[in-house]
Formats: sequence, structure tokens, C-alpha cells
Amino acid sequence: MTSSSAPSRKALSKIACNRLQKELVEWQVNPPAGFKHKVSDNLQRWVIEVNGAPGTLYSNETYQLQVDFPEHYPMEAPQVIFVPPAPLHPHIYSNGHICLDILYDSWSPAMTVSSICISILSMLSSSTVKQRPADNDRYVKNCRNGRSPKETRWWFHDDKV
Amino acid sequence: MLELELQSTKVPKMKKFPETRVIASQISRSIHSLPHRLSLSSLSSNIHFSDSKATANCIQFDCELHDPCGLWKWFKKQVRRRKREKIIEFNWMGNKLGRRRQVVDERYTRPQGLYAHKDVDVKKLRKLILESKLAPCYPGDEECSCDLEECPICFLYYPSLNRSRCCMKGICTECFLQMKNPNSTRPTQCPFCKTTNYAVEYRGGKTKEEKGNEQIEEQRVIEAKIRMRQQELQDEEERMQKRQELCSSSTSVAPREVEYNAVAVSSSRSLEGDEIVSDSCATPMIRQPSRLRTNGDDEFDLDLEELMVIEAIWLSIQENGRPRNPAFDGSEQYVMEDRYVTSTLSPVACSSSSPSGGLACAIAALAERQQMSGESSIISHRNVSAFNMLPGSSRLYNRVDQDAENHPPAESSSSASPDSRVAATRDEGDWGVDRGGSEVAEAGTSYASSDVTEDGSGNSSLAQPDEIAGSFQNVPGPIVPESFEEQMMLAMAVSLAEARAMSSGSGISWQ
Repeated sequence: MTSSSAPSRKALSKIACNRLQKELVEWQVNPPAGFKHKVSDNLQRWVIEVNGAPGTLYSNETYQLQVDFPEHYPMEAPQVIFVPPAPLHPHIYSNGHICLDILYDSWSPAMTVSSICISILSMLSSSTVKQRPADNDRYVKNCRNGRSPKETRWWFHDDKV
Repeated sequence: MLELELQSTKVPKMKKFPETRVIASQISRSIHSLPHRLSLSSLSSNIHFSDSKATANCIQFDCELHDPCGLWKWFKKQVRRRKREKIIEFNWMGNKLGRRRQVVDERYTRPQGLYAHKDVDVKKLRKLILESKLAPCYPGDEECSCDLEECPICFLYYPSLNRSRCCMKGICTECFLQMKNPNSTRPTQCPFCKTTNYAVEYRGGKTKEEKGNEQIEEQRVIEAKIRMRQQELQDEEERMQKRQELCSSSTSVAPREVEYNAVAVSSSRSLEGDEIVSDSCATPMIRQPSRLRTNGDDEFDLDLEELMVIEAIWLSIQENGRPRNPAFDGSEQYVMEDRYVTSTLSPVACSSSSPSGGLACAIAALAERQQMSGESSIISHRNVSAFNMLPGSSRLYNRVDQDAENHPPAESSSSASPDSRVAATRDEGDWGVDRGGSEVAEAGTSYASSDVTEDGSGNSSLAQPDEIAGSFQNVPGPIVPESFEEQMMLAMAVSLAEARAMSSGSGISWQ
């Protein structure tokens, strides 16, 4: 599966480790609404349950996000994908890859897992139609060798959703 | 004229950062080009006091040759006294012209290994740190203690952080060095607000402004509470009034009079755009002839309710503020200036370190004094300078809310000061020092004494200090207390109360 072959899994740097621990503590104290961190002892991979916001197309639906942290987090963005089955969304490919700028080019080390989650939920919530991206099949085929979405050259064209 | 800025910051971890204990101080002299300044020389210095209570004051003087109120002399005396009493160590350094160096332990002039820095010019980094253009590379702390600030990138705690020029967010030096994206040809973006050409500046510990902003937030909450309480009080009083009117018709005359007076005051105040005061004072209320009232002229007019409000503010500040002693925490000054400009006595609140009773005591003491000497009117005529505070402080208010770069025109003559701004642009290939006009850096920072300090009158620290200095001369001998803070407190209380009295009594409006 694409999800398991994360980018070259180098152990977290000290600073990444420290920051993630603090993020986790903060999460436990103050989790973003609609998300649930699945307890594990792996700091480098978080699995997060997403509940579609009520009143949106995805209400009462639950999905799983998988967040893999690179060695140099937060200087580098984490890899965030939906564990298939991914929600039907014009920016979410069936292999779980998410076309969202903050996960790639627009990542800033000032962001946190929590802020990513909120962005993703907002992306889901603002969707007006449940459908796959137009180029879904082509893209998924291209990724069949387990390519990370971070290696994709994303084209962020739609700022509505 | 003499300007004084006081800021106290707790020195975290004295043992860990010995250089803060050993006291850093810098002087830089510069020529003032501002036309309205008569004298030529100004003396700007950062003096860190540290005493056994692990507290450091940073006093910044902008002192001209003319020192009409003798504050500079007084200051030097204070320093001598403290030296004598070994309360502080004191040390002049960097008195070379145009050099501003921070006393930073050599250890902290290079990265502490938070990241595997690849292309860091260690020499240059050292230079920038020594010149206070970047925060020293203190080892980050895992836990928050005292006044440490958290770097929002690495989540570690530091005694001081750099600030992004665009959005004033903090960042530690080592994280800042990581911000330049080596794979991008685009200029570095601010990680916080995405502004291009990310640049930071260093202003020492938390600056007045930031603390001010933080405190404004807190203050707003407090204000809201006070307003609520006030509303309750008013309702109560109105009910009382009605009852009184029912009981006796004779009493109704006197309150009306005073009430009118109060309205007059508040209307002139509201020009300052001050919400709470106009809120609280414009409403009619019965003013009890309090014991604090002076006998001679009816100018010195404090009612109980106001005292209560002041007390509430005072208490809340005490609660908020960490257990600190030397007063004049810049931040609180800020808040006070903004919000309570005209409630006259509050600036004092922050300055008082006396645990005994806060403002009410000071005011009471003052009132007594005034009763004794009955010279308040003389003082108030002499002390016109006290009014300087208002325009200045309302300007400050603007500053806090708006962009810090929005300087009042008075300052426009201050040209670029090559100070404390470091830009990380791709084009420069390294985090070169940006020598653009960064007046932002100058605004009331403790490290603002730059090589060419030309920020003159517009500096945010100045309006208030003017006031302090101006009022200082009015503290007459008899009740001057020993400690500096109390002196200041009383001085301000006197001048503010008088200023207020003048405005209400003789109809001079605040301008």
C-alpha cells in the first residue's frame, strides 16, 4: 500500500522529537474538534481519526489520516495522507493523497499537526460535491510504486475548496 | 528635557545565564537632529541592574544637556547609592562611540546544536549576536519558567527571541537560521504570516510593546469585568439616589452639581478615545464628599467609586503581574497609557511596588499632604508639563493597535538607523544585515540605543517618560519616600491628580 512506504524513514531528530512530544501533550490537553489521535507509541507516525463536520457532506463519516514526520520536522513538512478509503473530494485522490498547499509548498514550521488537521477538515467541510479529482486515475497509476505525495509536483489551482 | 524609560524583567535562571547577572550596559551618544531640540547631545544607555532578588531593570535614558529637573543627577545618585550598598553591580561598557555591544557569553554566540546547521557563517553569527542584532543562542529550555518565551518553531523556551519585522512573532536564533529554504529561489517567507523577505530584529527580552499587547488583551478582560461591576454599582447608586430623593429633597441639589462636573470632565476626556473612562464617569452618580477631598479648592476630587475602580485595576495588575518588585514594568505602563490615560492614577498603579496599599494609600497620602500644605494649585500651575502625557499616550495607543511602523510625523525626521534588523533573503545568500530604516526596532525597546539614535521625540517611550520626568520635580521634600518606585509613584500620582483637577476645575481641556 502506498501509505506504508513512507519517505526514507530516518529517525526523528532531537528537536523534532521534542517538538512532537510537546505537540502531543498539547493535543491531549486541547485536541482539535472532530479529531482523535489513535494512541500508539510511535511518535513518528500519528494516525488520526477524522469525523466529518456536522452539516457538511461528510457528516457522520469517519476517516483516518496518517501523518508521517520526517527527520527534520518541523523544518520539513510531514507527509499527510488519508488511509484508504479516502473521502470523496475533488482534492483527495483515491490513494489518499491530498492536494493541499500547506502540506507541500506552503508548509511553514510554525504550523502544527493540529493546524493541519483543522485545514483538512475545513477543506472537507467546504466541499460542495463528492467526487474524485478529474485526474484521479492517472495520478493514482503514477503513484503505484508507492510514491509519497511529497514527491508530487502539485498544482494548486483551486482556492475555493 | 529628559526622558526615562523603565522596564523591569525578571532574569530567568541566573545561574544559567551569568552574563545577565554581571550586568550589561551600553552607552551610545548621538547628535539629535530634531529641530525642536535645543541641546545637541543625547545619552542613551541600557543599564541592567541586578540585585539579590534576581531582577533586572533596564533603564534607558535619553538625556539632553539641559536637565531642568535634575533627573539625570538623581539617577546617578541612585546608581551611586546602589553601588555603595552593593545592591547592584554597575559597570559601564561599550562607551566607544557608535558601538553597541551586548555582554554575551562566548558560548552563546554560536549555535547550540539544535539543528545540524549547514551553511552558517559562525563568525558573522557571532558578530550579529554581539551587536544585539540577533538573540544570543541560549540553550533552549524544555520547561517554561519565569519570563521565558517559547519559540513557536522549536517549542523551547528562551530568555529572549528575535522578532519578525512583519508580524512581530518571536523566533529563536537557531530556528531563524533554518528558515532560509535552500531549495527555493524565492525570497524567504515569514513562517508566521507569509510575508516575503522575512527579516527579524532583536530587541532584547520581551519588549514593552509585546508585553503591552499581551497585557492589553488581559486588560480588556479586566476592563470588561470592571465595566460590569461598574454597571452594577451604578444601578445600585441610581436606586439609592431614587430612594434618597424620596426621603429628602434637600440632598438632591448637591449631587447634581458634582455630577455636572463629572460629565464635563468625561466629555473632554473622551476626545482621547478612551472608552472606559468615559463609560465610567459620564454617567451621573452621587459623589460623596470623600475625605480625600481637599479643602481649599474643590479640584482635587476623587470619589469612592473611582478609588474602587483604581483599586480593582491595581489588584488585577498585582494578580497578573508576576511577583515583581521594581516597578515600571514597561508593559504595564503601556497598558495604562492606553486604557487609563485619563483615569489619571492608574499609571501609578504599575509603578508601585509597595505592598501596603497600592494607589489608594498613595492618593490618600497625597491628599493629606495637599491638605496640609494647600499648595496644590501652585503646583498645578507650575506643572504644565504633566499635560504632555496625553497626546503622547494616545499616540501610543495607536501604535499598539496599528502597525508599529506607523510613526507619528514628529518622527519622520529621524532617518534610518542602522540597527537591529537582520534580513534573510535568498538574494543576499546569507542572513545579511538589512540596513534599511528600521525604526520599528527603536520603538521603546530596551535595546533601542542604537549607534545613531535619532529617533528622538517620536520614540514611544518618550511621551510617558516626559511625563514622569516632568512631574518628578513636583515631589516636594517632606513625603518623598526612600525607594525609587515609591517616589515615582507619588510623583505621578501628584501630577496626574493635579492635571485632572485642573481640567475639571478650571475647564482647561485635555489636549
